[in-house]
Amino acid sequence: MSRSKKIGFLVSGLIMLAGLLAWGFQFKEGLVLTNMRNSYTWGLYVSGLAFFVGNAAGGLVLSSLIYLFGVKSLKPFAKLGALTAFANVTAAMFSILPDIGQPIRLYNMILHPQFRSPLVWDVLVLNLYAALSLIYLYILLLPDLKGPLKKIALKVDDPKAFSEKWARRLAPFSLVAAVGIHVITAWIFATQGARGWWNSAVLAPDFVAAAIASGTAVVFVVALLAYGLKEEFKEAYRTMAVIISVAYFVHIFFMYNDFLIHAWYGATEALETLSITFIDYAPAHAFEVLAPLVAVILLLNSKVRSSAGAMISSCLLLIAGIFTHRFLLMPGAFDKIPFTINPLGMQDTDWSLPIASGDYGSLVNTFVTEWHYFPSGVEMIIFSGVVAYACFLMILAVDRLPIVSEAKA
Amino acid sequence: MRRGMVIDLEKCIGCRSCVVACKQHNAQPAGNWWNRVFTPGSARHLTPPQKGEEYFLPVHCQHCQNAPCEKVCPVGATYRHTDGTILVDFERCIGCRYCMAACPYGVRQFNWEDPKKAMKKYGYQAGYSYGYPKDYRLDGRLVYTPVRPKGVVEKCNFCVHYLEKGLDPACVRACPGKARHVGDFDDPDSKVSKMIREKNGFTLLPEKGTRPNVYYLPPKRKEV
Repeated sequence: MSRSKKIGFLVSGLIMLAGLLAWGFQFKEGLVLTNMRNSYTWGLYVSGLAFFVGNAAGGLVLSSLIYLFGVKSLKPFAKLGALTAFANVTAAMFSILPDIGQPIRLYNMILHPQFRSPLVWDVLVLNLYAALSLIYLYILLLPDLKGPLKKIALKVDDPKAFSEKWARRLAPFSLVAAVGIHVITAWIFATQGARGWWNSAVLAPDFVAAAIASGTAVVFVVALLAYGLKEEFKEAYRTMAVIISVAYFVHIFFMYNDFLIHAWYGATEALETLSITFIDYAPAHAFEVLAPLVAVILLLNSKVRSSAGAMISSCLLLIAGIFTHRFLLMPGAFDKIPFTINPLGMQDTDWSLPIASGDYGSLVNTFVTEWHYFPSGVEMIIFSGVVAYACFLMILAVDRLPIVSEAKA
Repeated sequence: MRRGMVIDLEKCIGCRSCVVACKQHNAQPAGNWWNRVFTPGSARHLTPPQKGEEYFLPVHCQHCQNAPCEKVCPVGATYRHTDGTILVDFERCIGCRYCMAACPYGVRQFNWEDPKKAMKKYGYQAGYSYGYPKDYRLDGRLVYTPVRPKGVVEKCNFCVHYLEKGLDPACVRACPGKARHVGDFDDPDSKVSKMIREKNGFTLLPEKGTRPNVYYLPPKRKEV
């Protein structure tokens, strides 16, 4: 095992362990350890769900481009695509787990699923996608399962042809499932009439666009780390840069299209919602738009694409921007009390009805109309643990399975 | 039978007896308030707004006919009783808080920590307890318990544990202004249906399309 892999294992393993311990502590004490309260019920963990689901799009992009649209240059990265998809879609589920107040009761999702709930749809589609990614990865690995790995290989006459045939057959299903995870995750939010910030028809298409940008960037980074900068992959890297760019611009278009419509009509409630993102969170909003823009401009430049370090930095910048976008899913929804009325007989007055904060302290109000959320230390450690899990799993898989073998051949 | 409530804002004197009765009868953990009385327009909660503009607005679960909380619950812990009341099964709730994101009225509360610890944190004297002391099950489901598990959501249940004793909800019984009335909304001849018809009953946030089972009667004049 190489030195860098060893360091990767050690660091990600330790962070994962810290996350697990923090979750244990939170399990014992309750979600009071987070900075969420009654008026701000979802935070970093749910943003994390949306973020990781988006990152899982890489598998979809690669498998459909290779097997449905015939982009052969990406073929060496197909296995990495399936691996990042599996790592991220499971990370999405691990991210939502600590958000559950009674995790032991999760069996109720199986015993009493309530099929009107978009959350039930999401759990189903995320599990389906995780299973599909794993099957996909296995099929792609089949021709290379040799030596000690031969035990787990399916006995077929011509593994290469078998793998090719089934990868092609599965591609359309993987495409549907992959689009499904983004659309259904978006529906969790978009169906909620109580939250104007989410209740938009553009949210689901926008989730797909942002996911294609960040999911491809994740594969891009992993591919660069695994294969480095080789002449034979130049075309593949260029293709991925173009996909990321197009997806980013579509995402920006969807987002601002929605903002413009609401800002133009100028309903008080909508303006108040928009002001949260544009004024209260102005630096974060600037970052979510500009960081990926800079990344895209860099990635489209062929000079930048001649340095692995520059490409990795650009992709990480883009992923950071999309993460900020996912974080901003919450303030617009929770910094404004949905229950805002025009009190009887008062002119031009919008009045928000305070919510019991659920917190007590000498400086905390019992009833609040605003709650300034920033994740607590415990939330950040648990979230970092989930990121570390995805990294650990990917390093482990690359180390133990013939995922990057083609490059050596 | 569709159980509903009418709150006559003309009769509400803003004493908040209903808030206290609700809190006590339902053994609400420290920091949880199923029922609140607002002073719309005031600069700060619980203080009067400008002179001549005062009125009081009691708010608790609206027991909506199109209830987003009921529809989002992944496990059916929030469910509708045969009389239209929305209840929470304390044994089934997984604590995902989707219902809290879905409710436009902000009436749902989460048990962020063990209620016993919260009591201590709030400075209640050791051993002090309040509220209806026994568990209450409806068709086997735990819809009331005096000691809440940590990590579950709760809200107004129209005092379902008093229903079979023929008692009205605690807030209705405790109201000194006699501003609160419960009855059958399906029956056009019931007292509550008549009040809504004759006194211009209205609902809160009608634009959200939730069709609440709680109606309000507008005050004729403000408290001065």
